[in-house]
Amino acid sequence: MRALLPGATPPRLTAPTQSEPAIALAGVTKAFHGHVAVSDLSLSIACGSVYGLLGPNGAGKTTTLRMVLNILAPDAGEVRLFGRPTDQAARDRVGYLPEERGLYPRMVVEDQLLFLAAIKGLPRAEAARRLGPWLERLGLSAWRGRKLNELSKGMQQKVQLVATILHEPDILILDEPLSGLDPVGADLVRDVLLELRRQGRTLVLSSHEMETVERLCDAITLIDGGRKVLEGPVSEVKSRYGRNAVVLAYEGDGAFLAGLAGVAKLTDFGRYVELHRREGADPQEILQAAAARLRLSRFEIVEPSLRDIFVERVRGEAA
Amino acid sequence: MSALPRLRAVARREYVARVRSKAFVVITILGPAIMAGFLVVPTLVMSRQRGRPLRVAVLDGEGSLRAAVEESLARREAAGAARFDVRPAPGAAGEDARDGLRAAVLRGDLDAYVYLPADAVQRSVAEYHGRNVSNMMDIGLVDAAVEEALIGRRLTDEGLAKDAVRSLTRKVDLKTVRLSASGEREDRGGSFFLSMVLMTMLYTAVAMWGAAVMNGVIEEKTSRVVEIVVSSLPTWTFFAGKLLGVGAAGLTQFGIWGASLGLLSLWAAAMAATSGTAIPEISPLLVVSFVTCFVLGYFLYAALFAAVGAMVNSQQDAQALVFPVMAPLLTAFIFFPAVLGAPDSTLSTTLSLVPFFAPLLMFLRVAAAPPPAWQLVLCLALCLATIALVTWLASRIYRVGILMYGKRATLPEIFRWIKQS
Repeated sequence: MRALLPGATPPRLTAPTQSEPAIALAGVTKAFHGHVAVSDLSLSIACGSVYGLLGPNGAGKTTTLRMVLNILAPDAGEVRLFGRPTDQAARDRVGYLPEERGLYPRMVVEDQLLFLAAIKGLPRAEAARRLGPWLERLGLSAWRGRKLNELSKGMQQKVQLVATILHEPDILILDEPLSGLDPVGADLVRDVLLELRRQGRTLVLSSHEMETVERLCDAITLIDGGRKVLEGPVSEVKSRYGRNAVVLAYEGDGAFLAGLAGVAKLTDFGRYVELHRREGADPQEILQAAAARLRLSRFEIVEPSLRDIFVERVRGEAA
Repeated sequence: MSALPRLRAVARREYVARVRSKAFVVITILGPAIMAGFLVVPTLVMSRQRGRPLRVAVLDGEGSLRAAVEESLARREAAGAARFDVRPAPGAAGEDARDGLRAAVLRGDLDAYVYLPADAVQRSVAEYHGRNVSNMMDIGLVDAAVEEALIGRRLTDEGLAKDAVRSLTRKVDLKTVRLSASGEREDRGGSFFLSMVLMTMLYTAVAMWGAAVMNGVIEEKTSRVVEIVVSSLPTWTFFAGKLLGVGAAGLTQFGIWGASLGLLSLWAAAMAATSGTAIPEISPLLVVSFVTCFVLGYFLYAALFAAVGAMVNSQQDAQALVFPVMAPLLTAFIFFPAVLGAPDSTLSTTLSLVPFFAPLLMFLRVAAAPPPAWQLVLCLALCLATIALVTWLASRIYRVGILMYGKRATLPEIFRWIKQS
């Protein structure tokens, strides 16, 4: 596998056997005081993929990730990394970016990063050598000697990212990696994540930002109430839900649209509306009916967004 | 990579974080200053003047004692200087004279007057009238002066010559000499002071470094660093590294304190040799046990403090739990007069062998009168065994507690944690 930065380190020979999934959960269950947080969950995350772990708050995402990270031991079932139990050697190949900050608030950025690399088994000198280019790339060079709590939230998030990847892990577990970042910072981090993926590393993303998940992930699992609700490659999940939405932007009074024969549901987004067609309704009929009374500036047949699927499935679960 | 480099990394982080803090620098320097202050200042103060001499007058109701008492008062000395400035008083001792003296005292022209009633010699009584009657040392001197004059009078009445009375009623100068293996030296309460100061430093240091561990754990918990750490290395490695790192910082401080204590002892020896001023002995055994008792006390209590830190979510939450942890240490502290008073009594021996008390009380015994070697060895063994047990228990509470957020854990929950981890 290539080093993260060209010229920074010689290539490492840790290429996992591609037949084994990077992460495999088999029948994993975890309960706290009788409350079942994760129930009989099985997952298989292929090497080199970007995997989205989705679910509403309290669905069991964090508990699942904690079991993968060996922070918690499952009550039942088994977690395997590259087909092996989660021993120290396996754990050294994992990088974790927690949702809430996981850094010492009053510790100097540089010392902090060297420490976190050291407990991942990276010798101090090597960590120090890798650090410079990363800080440079993420615009943190000027801040390396400052205490963490002197940095903005976005800056801290970037420091956290460096902490996650400095030991060049093969598996990255990222809980809300773009939170707190401005658009420029978010793009920067997204670029880094895409580069990590190109290098064949496995990324597990847990996020509520469906757009990010949709853009980055190859496959997703949606869990709710500790159980798997939905699973599969993103394109497959979407096609399963069909191309049944129409987006319209117009001038005029579009109140009648909701009453059209082929429209099951209308969602008004202000600048445009999204119509969900009834089973078998022809989008052309909707177009004609709308064009007859409104001045249209946009008409588009769209895939359902992951967001829609998420909301629909979670609501369905709750009902 | 094995566990050792990671353990070192954790310990190093803790050590550097502590030693670099401003509080560390201040307290490390302040410690010896306080130590020196407690030892040197009272010695210096006692050897200096205690303010100007007291202005006193003698009102003689008996009629013939005044000259003797005045002369006796004038001879009283404190720290090498006359203590009393004897002012003339009215010859007659009527009500007018008393009122006059009372007014003089209230005006501030006099500090006090001594009244000798008519039957002073028979009943051996006298009165001291002053605005301040809490200056026990001065009143003691007045007492001695009057007593000497009265005894002198009775003896001359029996036919003794005045000079003979003076030489026969000389005061005893009682010296207290502390015997130890390294010789004997005069001690005027300094050894008591030293023991108390050093024990207070031990108490403070153990409590302070224990609290430092606890606050560190709380910070890691609230900042969620602990999740990163626990996903990277075994909790036990982290726990041990943390205790060792903070302990090393504490030991650095104690090393500096121990060294200054050593220097102080050299200075004390020099003082004793040149001026004969009594500074208590600071033996190598004392310095060694000072440092050893800190190490034992620290490891006994720090593991418990770490467990408390893991059980709570904020420092406010921790307050209620700190007390039960501190209670044994506090108990030991309260027993110090008993142990210092009779270091070899059954009570002292028993208490000093209880591991949670030992760091303070065994040290106190060493400072007062070194106990037999077998007791020291037994004490060390008991402490080490207890440390092993306590650390094991605390690490199990810690392992579960650090990942628990929300409400503070209850006692049954904690027992469950110990069992499950």
